[in-house]
Amino acid sequence: MTQSKIRVDLILASLAEDAEKAQEKVQKASDVFLEPLHTDIATTPYEVVYQEDRVKLKHYYPIAETRFKTPLLVVYALINRETMLDLQPGRSVVQTFLKSGIDLYMIDWGYPTRKDKFLTIDDHVNGYMDNVVDFVRKKHKVPTINLMGICMGGTFSVIYSALHPDKVKNLITTVTPTNFDTDEGLLHIWMRHLDVDRLVDAFGNMPGDMMNFGFLLLNPARLVIDKYVGFLEHMDDRSFVENFVRMEKWIFDSPDVPGETFRQFIKDLYQQNLLIKNRLEIGDRRVDLGKITMPVLNFYGSFDHLVPPGACELLTSRVGSTDTEDVRLDTGHIGIYVSGKCQKEFAPKIVKWLQQRDTAEIPEEKEIVMGGVAAQAEAVPAMI
Amino acid sequence: MTEDRQSNAGTKSLLEMWLDATSEFWQSSMRLWPHATDEGSNTDPSRAAQSGRMQESYEAMFRSFQVLASVMEKPEGIEGAMRGIAAFPEIASKLIKPVWEGLFHMQREWVDRAGRIGKSTAAYKYEDIDRDVFKVWREIYEREFRQFLNVPQLGLTRAYQERLSQGADKFQIFQTTMAEFFSLLYLPVEKSFKVLQDQVAQMAEGGELPEKTKEYYRIWVKILEGHYMTLFKSPEYNQTLRRILDSLGDYMVARQEILQDAMQALPVPSQKEMDELYREIYLLKKRIKALEKNQDGNGATATEKPD
Repeated sequence: MTQSKIRVDLILASLAEDAEKAQEKVQKASDVFLEPLHTDIATTPYEVVYQEDRVKLKHYYPIAETRFKTPLLVVYALINRETMLDLQPGRSVVQTFLKSGIDLYMIDWGYPTRKDKFLTIDDHVNGYMDNVVDFVRKKHKVPTINLMGICMGGTFSVIYSALHPDKVKNLITTVTPTNFDTDEGLLHIWMRHLDVDRLVDAFGNMPGDMMNFGFLLLNPARLVIDKYVGFLEHMDDRSFVENFVRMEKWIFDSPDVPGETFRQFIKDLYQQNLLIKNRLEIGDRRVDLGKITMPVLNFYGSFDHLVPPGACELLTSRVGSTDTEDVRLDTGHIGIYVSGKCQKEFAPKIVKWLQQRDTAEIPEEKEIVMGGVAAQAEAVPAMI
Repeated sequence: MTEDRQSNAGTKSLLEMWLDATSEFWQSSMRLWPHATDEGSNTDPSRAAQSGRMQESYEAMFRSFQVLASVMEKPEGIEGAMRGIAAFPEIASKLIKPVWEGLFHMQREWVDRAGRIGKSTAAYKYEDIDRDVFKVWREIYEREFRQFLNVPQLGLTRAYQERLSQGADKFQIFQTTMAEFFSLLYLPVEKSFKVLQDQVAQMAEGGELPEKTKEYYRIWVKILEGHYMTLFKSPEYNQTLRRILDSLGDYMVARQEILQDAMQALPVPSQKEMDELYREIYLLKKRIKALEKNQDGNGATATEKPD
């Protein structure tokens, strides 16, 4: 009598073992869930030093001696929140920067409401961003600052650097879309068919929940099923659960995007790809990438399904600067900031790159002019 | 023919009898009227005037009835009425016919579709997706029902009625598109199970079945991911995605207009009014900020020299 090729006995034994383990796991998980969990995000202390409408400027308290002459301003996207850079202890870009002696500022775009639906890219870049940059320049008495943009915030930073090159010393772009004519990412394909006028006219602002639903649809097998199966497998591990909940808090904390900004971003960038062609107009001024003459460091992820490499890697060849560098990491859109591996490759690389370019600047003869709104805001700094 | 005539004669005499009896009743009612008016006039002059107006109206109505009755009593009037009555079933059948035809058409498509079950789930193929049931329903709705919601509305409340009809129309289209969209999202799940079964069968034949149960899940998720990627790049998915977003937008606008009508009765501003206000505030703030910046740019305030 020959033995069956299929070891049914082994399969059944494995199934029984799994059932036993699952029961044990559920019991342990119940203990984990019922005890207090530490799931706070963005816990690094900071002070709000400037506020204009819904927009706040965070200044992080230094935890090491400041070793850089030029402060760094981080500009996050209007989609999701800047808390991602300070998600959990040990995996915090913010803390790495502070430990390296960087004087760190970050824009918190807040939660747009219906009254913000008329705000355009011009209002964000030449309005809020410019006022914030002027505020930091004046506070530190420097003519230029270091600018770091994330995703859509990176696109804003590129636009800003092209329109105000005299105020930016070094530009760092991370997972920043600048070339929208690519079929690498589903988002780029979908956006091409979007009737954005209809959506914005119907909703006013683009609802954050709706965008999140769209992001989940980019890979439902992983983001809707596999992710939570993974959670069930590790739900008896307190540390895993805490980190998982932190990530969930960040992912589903999605402010709406101001309607007119969304309309312009989709039409001018996703559908017409005007930025990389030097044909984008912001506030009646053409955005010429050739005017970006400061050093540029450009990060992107090989497995980024939202902003694929094809959307990022053209930038350095189109700017006017001769000091440019592309860094491609083998990770995804969020992994670049939060994965354990990238903690050693991402923030430390930025620190080193900035150190090499942190030369003292000769103060300009002209005065540092600060916008009226910034002047008012400085008079009464908000505290948290 | 003779029978028809007899039947007509019978109906005619019945109609005449009914008209006579009705005239008699209203005439006797009118005769009672002056007494009531007299009693009212003794107590309240305004009530008397009101009763007088009612009597006039009543008399005018009665005269109209008499004219109508006299016309109806003539043979040609009765024949006209008979023709109208005879035409009623035909009109009703014309009204009902399209509805039944639509239902039969849908039923036929359902039966056809049931016959195709299992034939259209080839793996990694989304070019010819079997979504006929939604297409059929949308076609039937657009061909047979939608026009009833687009009938021109008349009168004082026409604009309100029109917005309600539009709301119902947009909601219906959105619902159908959403059902189509979610059915499309379910297709990869269906297909991935089929592929998994095939793969497991192949592995079983080769005696390579994984012992760990998690391995089956891992294989399935990988297949599912592949199917979703194929689906999301297909023109069908992109068309459906666009349709659902468009129909959602249309429905939101239509719903908002109905809500605005309803809110007119409440002491709260509508969204449209608030949007106008927000726009004014936005433009004013923008002007003020530009003025402040220009003023500061001229060196008036807030300047410091860098170290």
